[in-house]
Amino acid sequence: MFKLIKKILDHSLEILVMIFMAALVIDVTWQVFTRLVMKKPSTGTEELAVFMIIWVALLGAAVALNRGAHLGIDYFVGKLSLRKRIFTEVFVFLCIGLFSLFVMVIGGGSLVLRTLELGQVSPAWDIKIGYVYLAIPISGFFLVLYSVIGFSERLVELIKHKYPPQGKIAPPGEEQITAY
Amino acid sequence: MSFPILVLVLSFFVLLVLNVPVAFCMGISTVLALLAMGDLPAFVATAHKIATGIDSFTLLAIPFFILSGLMMGHGGIARRLIDFANVLVGRFRGGLAFVNILTCMLFGAISGSATAAVSAIGGFMVPLMNKMGYNREFNTAVTVTAATTGLLIPPSNTMIVYSLATGGLVSIAALFMAGYIPGILTGIALMIVSGFISVRKNYGKGEKFAFKEGVVRFLSAIPPLMLVFIVVGGILIGWFTPTEASAIGVLYTLILAVFIYREVKISELPKILLQCGVTTAVVFLLIGTSMAMSWVLAAENVPQNISASLIGLTDNKFVILLIINVLLLVVGMFMDMTPAILIFTPIFLPVIQKLGLHPLHFGIILLMNLNIGLCTPPVGTALFLGCGIAGTTVTKVVRHILPFFIAMIVTLLLCTYVPAITMWLPRALEFVK
Repeated sequence: MFKLIKKILDHSLEILVMIFMAALVIDVTWQVFTRLVMKKPSTGTEELAVFMIIWVALLGAAVALNRGAHLGIDYFVGKLSLRKRIFTEVFVFLCIGLFSLFVMVIGGGSLVLRTLELGQVSPAWDIKIGYVYLAIPISGFFLVLYSVIGFSERLVELIKHKYPPQGKIAPPGEEQITAY
Repeated sequence: MSFPILVLVLSFFVLLVLNVPVAFCMGISTVLALLAMGDLPAFVATAHKIATGIDSFTLLAIPFFILSGLMMGHGGIARRLIDFANVLVGRFRGGLAFVNILTCMLFGAISGSATAAVSAIGGFMVPLMNKMGYNREFNTAVTVTAATTGLLIPPSNTMIVYSLATGGLVSIAALFMAGYIPGILTGIALMIVSGFISVRKNYGKGEKFAFKEGVVRFLSAIPPLMLVFIVVGGILIGWFTPTEASAIGVLYTLILAVFIYREVKISELPKILLQCGVTTAVVFLLIGTSMAMSWVLAAENVPQNISASLIGLTDNKFVILLIINVLLLVVGMFMDMTPAILIFTPIFLPVIQKLGLHPLHFGIILLMNLNIGLCTPPVGTALFLGCGIAGTTVTKVVRHILPFFIAMIVTLLLCTYVPAITMWLPRALEFVK
């Protein structure tokens, strides 16, 4: 049951990221098309693109945590025994979880409230900037969720003395390879 | 060093060593430093800095270059470039090493990423070179170092990050132009080294091509190479902004890979989009937290202090530049490229400007240093990826990669002390005065 809910969550997040990515390409291509071909520059495609990239980046950050795609330095912990290594992973999830809770959920949440209170709106679309920033606490919520899951899984492994064959928080996923 | 900065530096290194993902290391030490300063709402301020750090239309070029890189990784485009390079340099002794390097440079001219080159070209060239009797570790070393030329030869994701780090002081178009000659020089230096090694190890010569075959291969490489004219040319002529050019690049690559070469299936596109989204998120979170950290460093006057102590050390320009190069090499060994650029640009740029160097010139020096870092342990994305593809280990490759490092360092020093190498092209095209 729990696994099913997580799977649904994972997939909906991933599908959101895909849709935003596709929309971004279409949006910016449209911007070029309207300016060069229709000679009538579109208003607001640029603004829309920036809003979308903020959402992609923040929602994607949660997907990346779930898939172990965030880059870390595993050189030093690689020299530890498996059990010690899992200890460090418990600590890593704790750090990520606390950061996400305090900065992204609480800090980001109050940022949203403050911006909404100021009533700042975007020039082209009249979107309240607060709603754009809403991506921060939402991403934070998923980051906390995934860190809690990772944290408890590792903790159970430590208590039961049962380790996965590869004790790795961040298996160098395919995702990270094309960044540079 | 002030107390908040001490907190920041110490917590950063402890977290880094414990394998906390780099983006979170920076986020957490930023918050801790802000708490130690005590006069700001630490959580809200950090969240705000992360959001404003990624709130940029220019940065949007990065996911687009990643996306076209992913689609080019599926073979067809890389293979056509390899075939073309083979006609030009394949016939010499150690020809396949030359082909490898030249293809990496060509690939660099159409994609913004070095690691995409490692997987797209290394994935094909390394097994081929192994089969033809070249040493596996030598092949890995060639691929990994040659791939970094792609970050100097435009388009380049890291140049976009550098432009952001200077606060728009240098334009992306100018950086793109500045990168060509240093990138080509690095490629030539790598070819010289691999030529020497090939003669010593008596590696084989490739085939000579009949003129007609050569023309055919050249023609079939034209569609991928057209991307140079569309993306870089489009920016130079002023048709597109860099972000728009990168989006058009995605469209062109899509048509090429999906509809013409039919190497990417439409059903694979969602997976590629997701992969791009996740990579983008990793890079953008790094950008956001780097910007937050850099802001704290600036608030505590770290750039001014470092700049003052460097200048106070000696007034010899030659020596200061050497020190900066050594520092950057060490930074490149231990830090990922994006945070390294965003954090160390504001720190070193004031010194550089005091010495009378152009920020454009420094950008290329910075990237060349970090390129070497991309091929060194403990943090060397290109090296690790290359070893994975070649099926060898970092320890075995290190001995073989050393001569290539020497080539890269010699080129780096040349570009450091001869500004014209970097500045000539952007000046000639009147991007800078």
